[in-house]
Amino acid sequence: MSSQHFPVYSLLLLLAAAVIIPLLNKKSFSKVKLFLITVLVAVWGFTLKTLLFVYQSGAYSYNFGNWNEIIGVQFIVDEFSALMTLFVMSLAILILIYSFKDMEHEINKDQFTGYYTLVFILLFSMIGITYTNDLFNMYVFMEILSITSCSIISIKKKKENYMAAFRYLILNTIGSLSILMGIAMIYMVTGHLNMTQVYQTIAEVWQLYPTNILTAVGFILTGLGIKAAMFPLHIWLPDAHSTAPSPSSALLSSLVVKVYIFSVYKILFKVLGQSIVVALGVPTFITYFAAVGMIMGSVFAIGQKDIKRMLAYSSVAQIGYIFLGLGLVTIDGLSASMFHIISHGLMKSALFLSAGAIIYYKDKRNINDLDGIGYEMPITMFVFTVAAFGMIGIPGINGFMSKIYLSFAVLDANKPIYLILILASSFLNAVYYLPIIISAFLKESKDRKNIMEIDKLPKSMLIPMVILALGSIIMGFYPQLIMNVVEKAVPTFLF
Amino acid sequence: MDDLIVKTITRLIVPFIQVYGIFIILHGHISPGGGFSGGAVLGSSMILFTLSYGLTDATKKLPHKVTGVLESGGIIWYILLGLMGILLGGKFLSNKEVGFFMGQAGEILSAGIIPLITVAIGIKVASTVITLFHTIIEED
Amino acid sequence: MVEFIRSIVEHINYVASVALFIIGLYTVLTHSNLLKKVIGINIMETSIFLFFVSIGYVHDGSAPIINLGGDRVIYVNPLPSALILTGIVVAVSITAYSLSLIIKLYEAYGTIDLNEIMEIRGGRTNE
Repeated sequence: MSSQHFPVYSLLLLLAAAVIIPLLNKKSFSKVKLFLITVLVAVWGFTLKTLLFVYQSGAYSYNFGNWNEIIGVQFIVDEFSALMTLFVMSLAILILIYSFKDMEHEINKDQFTGYYTLVFILLFSMIGITYTNDLFNMYVFMEILSITSCSIISIKKKKENYMAAFRYLILNTIGSLSILMGIAMIYMVTGHLNMTQVYQTIAEVWQLYPTNILTAVGFILTGLGIKAAMFPLHIWLPDAHSTAPSPSSALLSSLVVKVYIFSVYKILFKVLGQSIVVALGVPTFITYFAAVGMIMGSVFAIGQKDIKRMLAYSSVAQIGYIFLGLGLVTIDGLSASMFHIISHGLMKSALFLSAGAIIYYKDKRNINDLDGIGYEMPITMFVFTVAAFGMIGIPGINGFMSKIYLSFAVLDANKPIYLILILASSFLNAVYYLPIIISAFLKESKDRKNIMEIDKLPKSMLIPMVILALGSIIMGFYPQLIMNVVEKAVPTFLF
Repeated sequence: MDDLIVKTITRLIVPFIQVYGIFIILHGHISPGGGFSGGAVLGSSMILFTLSYGLTDATKKLPHKVTGVLESGGIIWYILLGLMGILLGGKFLSNKEVGFFMGQAGEILSAGIIPLITVAIGIKVASTVITLFHTIIEED
Repeated sequence: MVEFIRSIVEHINYVASVALFIIGLYTVLTHSNLLKKVIGINIMETSIFLFFVSIGYVHDGSAPIINLGGDRVIYVNPLPSALILTGIVVAVSITAYSLSLIIKLYEAYGTIDLNEIMEIRGGRTNE
């Protein structure tokens, strides 16, 4: 068992588990749960080993079937992709443990195995996208990801879910087709699909066919922008993320969107290269869209009454931060953006899971009905408060650290106007998060006295939420844990 | 649909379609075609059967449980074949380097694990096409 | 002028694929009938498949099978065709999934027209 095969093992284990789940006995759900947890922990172990291996001995590439990279599929395992898969698997374990109880509330019992099959294929395709070094392979994984992410929305058999899933599917497919068109154009002029090979030939090709490259970049960025919910293309996100079952919402907003953003990094810096991207002016436009998204996402969120819909619009604003860091094209900006990918994943999944716990226990979605809920469900609201403070940027939580890094990066890049926008966006975040926290802890509930009692939630729902909140706090005090790896990874993107 | 002509013709031509599908699958590595095309032909023979005889008869011939097992089995067969490459000291899906039988180009028994993989893909595609069609038409 | 017409005729595949792409996108974006949206998606897919296969075409090349082309050594590039086979699989699965969603929507709302569905939902649009 040499360590270089571990990424492949983790992929195969997820795929094999996904197809074995439907064959298991549906009556004894506890055995199925045990099987799921075992597989996830094994895959988590493989990804952890991969990260340690890469951290010690550097990035390496893995050619499938010993074909050379010109005709075969190649995986590239570098620091950030290893960190990203570890992050994906850690969050996925927590969310799935939470989902065992919560899904009983949301879907029929006979759909359980189907749901977990879909989730496993979702994880499989996410890990595939992060590792792959082949453009067409990336497209195939993206299609698998888009179908499974639509189906974990539509599995809850409600009218709104069908509509949200259909809208998501149509927009996602348009996005994938744009990406495929862009890939076809790149293949047409370079003759390669391997990202490293394309990168080596594209500088020469760019002199000959500038229009072709420009069109290809336009197609690919539009497609990825739809999938990653860059501001004007975010219209599917609020419906999809708010109607989905809570574990699905957490998976979608904290992981799936992030994986697409990660492929934006790959396309911009590993396929096209920094010089061409800057010469085409792509980063400038990305920063404009990101700045508008940061403000408008928060403005839309203020007007929402449904708690999950509000969280979904908040995602739009936070994705703006990530794209802002990306658009600066400096070492600091890119590392701030990568740091925020991870910190936003932790905070947003904590928020969605605690909102899901409120819906599970009280069946209330309207933010005006949450008066005094902090006395009834103190642990849930503690988790919500920690994550919301992180979103606002209170010191001590990871959201603050990512805002600090982003602000310094903006100042270094000599664009102080964006600092004002970051501050304004933080202020707007406070406008819609603080009223919930205030009414939860300071207002009197209508139907019961404010007596503190421990949440009557199942332990398997409480523990993952608390771990997420503690993770946010730890990452807020010791950001170097993540930053060390990120700083090692960034120079592979920029030169 | 209770039409004698359609039923008789279907019963006559379904075996031929299936033999053709199997032919395409088995010759995937030496001629145009392969797992996906052959699997689609196999699956469409079953769709034709469903259309002329109705869903109840078709599920009696090929129950959901069997197609489910075939679908999962196809993928697991593929994974195991790929892992053989790692076990024998190569990479995932290694073929020639780890000493699978290569044979003479143009013969049925050649090209190492490729025909075996084509069989797995053919089974997977055929059962998926059948399951998709049955699931879509049964929900009412 | 002659040059322009000749360049169009020589690249007729690309022109056709771009035209199909635009027709498909227009169908998806403007028609309120959900089935027509799915048809538009399929037209877009077809256009990209045409584009990809055209890239791999080599004038006067034969099918890339050993011993089939005789003594000719010019082969058509087989990679785009192989990729498009995968693309077709993906297209089939997306079409199947969206059709089953349309069946479910028809059961829930009694119509497959997007405008009517929006009216039934109480005029609540999604910004």
